[in-house]
Amino acid sequence: MNITQILFWFLSALTVFSALMVVVSKNPVYSVLWLIFTFFCISGHYIMLNAQFLFIVNIIVYAGAIMVLFLFVIMLMNLNQSSEPKKHRWLRMAGVVAGGCLLLVLVAALKNIDIKKQVAETNTGDIGLIGNLGKVLFNQYVVPFEISSILFLSAMVGTVVIGKKE
Amino acid sequence: MNALLLTAVFGVIMMLSSFLLTSKTAIRGLAVSGMVIVLAANVLEMMGIVFFKIDTKDMIAFDRFSLLFNSIVFISTLVYFLLSARDMEKVGINYGEYFALIFFVLCGVTLSSSFHSLLILFLGIEIISIPLYILTGSDKRNLKSNEASLKYFLLGAFSTGLMLMGIALIYGATGTFSTNGITTSPTSALVIAGMLLLMFSMAFKVSAAPFHFWTPDVYDGAPTVFTSFMATIVKVAAFIAFMRLFNDEFGSLQSRWQLLIALITAITLFIGNITAVFQQSVKRMLAYSSISQAGFMMMAIFAMNADAREGLLLYSAAYCLATIGIFAVLMKLKDYSFDGFNAFAKQQPLLAATTTIFLLSLAGIPLTAGFLSKFWMIKAVAGTGKYLWLVIFAVLMAVVSVYYYFRVIQAMYFKEGDGQTIEASLPFKWTLVLLAGIIVLLGVFPNWIIYWLYF
Amino acid sequence: MPINYYIFLSIALFVIGIVGVLTRRNAIIIFMCIELMLNAVNLMLVAFSKMHHLAKGATDATAGIDGQLFVFFIMVVAAAEVSVGLAIIVMMYRNIHSVDVNFLNRLKH
Repeated sequence: MNITQILFWFLSALTVFSALMVVVSKNPVYSVLWLIFTFFCISGHYIMLNAQFLFIVNIIVYAGAIMVLFLFVIMLMNLNQSSEPKKHRWLRMAGVVAGGCLLLVLVAALKNIDIKKQVAETNTGDIGLIGNLGKVLFNQYVVPFEISSILFLSAMVGTVVIGKKE
Repeated sequence: MNALLLTAVFGVIMMLSSFLLTSKTAIRGLAVSGMVIVLAANVLEMMGIVFFKIDTKDMIAFDRFSLLFNSIVFISTLVYFLLSARDMEKVGINYGEYFALIFFVLCGVTLSSSFHSLLILFLGIEIISIPLYILTGSDKRNLKSNEASLKYFLLGAFSTGLMLMGIALIYGATGTFSTNGITTSPTSALVIAGMLLLMFSMAFKVSAAPFHFWTPDVYDGAPTVFTSFMATIVKVAAFIAFMRLFNDEFGSLQSRWQLLIALITAITLFIGNITAVFQQSVKRMLAYSSISQAGFMMMAIFAMNADAREGLLLYSAAYCLATIGIFAVLMKLKDYSFDGFNAFAKQQPLLAATTTIFLLSLAGIPLTAGFLSKFWMIKAVAGTGKYLWLVIFAVLMAVVSVYYYFRVIQAMYFKEGDGQTIEASLPFKWTLVLLAGIIVLLGVFPNWIIYWLYF
Repeated sequence: MPINYYIFLSIALFVIGIVGVLTRRNAIIIFMCIELMLNAVNLMLVAFSKMHHLAKGATDATAGIDGQLFVFFIMVVAAAEVSVGLAIIVMMYRNIHSVDVNFLNRLKH
C-alpha cells in the first residue's frame, strides 16, 4: 500500500462516517457541522484527483457560503435544541431498508462493469487546473455559462418575491 | 435561438417594469406585447429568419419539432396572459415579478425542448423549476400555498439529484454529455442504471405514476392562476424534454425501456382516472385529470415513432388550450366544488357553452382537438405492433374520464342552484369563444399543426 | 485508484443522502441530505473525468475536462437552489413556526 492508497481509504472512511453522522445527528447544528466536514473530506478527494479548481470552489462555495447560509437559517429559527419530532419508527425502518436495497441493487449492478479495470489518475494530470478549465469554459461552454446567469437572475427575483414583506 | 434570447430579455424587462411602471394595466400590456413579439420571432425562425447567429457548439439544436413546439407553447401562454393575467393581481403585490418569472420559465422551456447536451437539459429543467417553486408559494399568507411550495421544492430538488446521478453514470460510460445516442454494445450496466435514474426523474417532472403523489397537493395548494400555468405549459414542456431525451440518447435501447414505460403509462392512466372520479373539488379533479392526461402523453414516449411526435404536438396544443380555458373560468368562481357550477348555464350561457367545449375536448369527444390527439396517440401505439393491451386499456380509461368531465357539464346545465354571481368582461368572453373556436377547428383540421412539422 | 472504488464511494454517499431524505422530518436536514446527494454526484463526475482523461488524453488533451465543468455547473445551480429553498423554508417558518415536513396529512382534506 502506497501513500495514495492509504490516504484514499482514510479519506473515504472519514467521508462515509461524517455523511452518516449528518443523517444520524439529533441536533440540526451538529448535522450542519458534520456536513461541512463531509465537504472538506470530498475536497480532499478532489486534491487527490488533482482537481485543484474544484477543490477551492468546493471549499469557498459549498463549505464557505452555502453551509454558512444553512447555519444562519438554523440559528435564526433557534432550532438548536433537538426538538425535532420523530417520524414513526416503522417509517424510519422502511426508509433505511429502501435505501439499503437501493445500495445493494446499484452495487450489484455496477460490480462487474466493463470499465472497472480503468483507473482514475491521481496526483497527476493537468485538466483540473484553473487555466485549462477556464479556456474550455469560455470557449466551448460559454453558452451554458451565459444561460446559468438566467438561472441566477430568476433565483434572485424569486428570493426577493418570497422574502419581501408585504 | 430568437425565442431563447427574447424570453430572457423580456424576463429582465418585466423585472425592471415592476418598479418603473406603476400602473398594473401597463405591466400587463407590456407582458402581452412581449409575448406577441416572442411568438412572432419564433414563427420567423420557423421560416428561416434567425436574428441571432450564435455558435452553441452543438449543445442546442433548434429543429422543426422544437420550434413548432415552442410556437404552441407561446400561443398557449399568450392565451393564458389574455385570460388570466388579471387574476394574478389577487395573488400578491409583486405583479411585474410574476411575469418576469413566467418569462424565465419560458426560457427554460425553449431550452428543454431543444437541448442537444445533457448539460442543457439539466439547466433547462432547473430554469423551469426554480421560478415555479416561487410561483407556487407566492400566496405568502396562505398556509396551503406555503406547504405546497415547500413540498414541491423538496421533491423537485430530490428528483434533480436523481437526474444528476443518471447523467453522471451515463457520462462514465460514454465520456460525453452530447445526446448523440448510445452506440456502445453490449450496453454497459452504467448506461442502464443511468437511464433508469433519468427515467424516474423525468417521470417525476411529468407527474407520471408512481411518482405523481406530489401533483394533487401542489396543484391544489398553489394559487389557481399559477396552477393553470404549471399544469399545462410546464407539463408539456417536460414531456417534450422526456421525448427528446429518450429519442436522441436512448433511442437505440428502445427494446429495453419499452416495457417499463408501458407499465408506467398504464399505472398513470389507472390512478389518474380512478382517483379523479372521487374528487369533490373541481380544482383537485383537474389536478388528477392532468395526471390522467399525462398517461395519454406517456403513450407517445412509449411509441416513439413519427405518429407519436405528431401526436404529442397535437396533444400539447389540445390539452394546454382546453385546460387554460377551464382554469380561467374556474378562477372566476368563489366555490371550487362541483356544486359551485350549479345552474351556471342559466347565469352565464356563453361561458357555460365554451366550458362545455373545453371539457368535451379533454374527454376526447369527436369534433374536438382532444379526440384527434387521443386518436393519434392510439394510432402511434398500435403502429408499434406491441403491447396492444395498452391501447385497449387507454380506450377504457378514456371512457372512465368521460364520467368526471360530464359531472361538471351536468352541474352546469341540469342542476338547480342559486348560482354564484360572477362578472366577466366582454374581452374575456370573446377570448374564450375564440379559444373554443380554435379547439373545434383543430379537431377538424389537425393538419394546421402537423403541416408545419414537414413543410 | 481504480474507478470502481470511486463509484462505490459516491453511491454510498448518494444512498446515505436518500436515506436521510426518507427518514428525517426537519425540512432543513432533508435539504442538507439533498446537498449530500449532489456532492456524491460531483465526486463521481470528477473521478470519471480523470478516468476519461487517462484513457483518451494521449489523443485529445482536453478529454475529460467537460466532467469537471459539469461539476462547476452543478455548484452554480445548487447555490441558486439553496437561496430559493431557504427562502421558502423561512417563509413557512414565519407562518407556522415549525419546519416539520409532516404536512402530508394537513394538505389532504
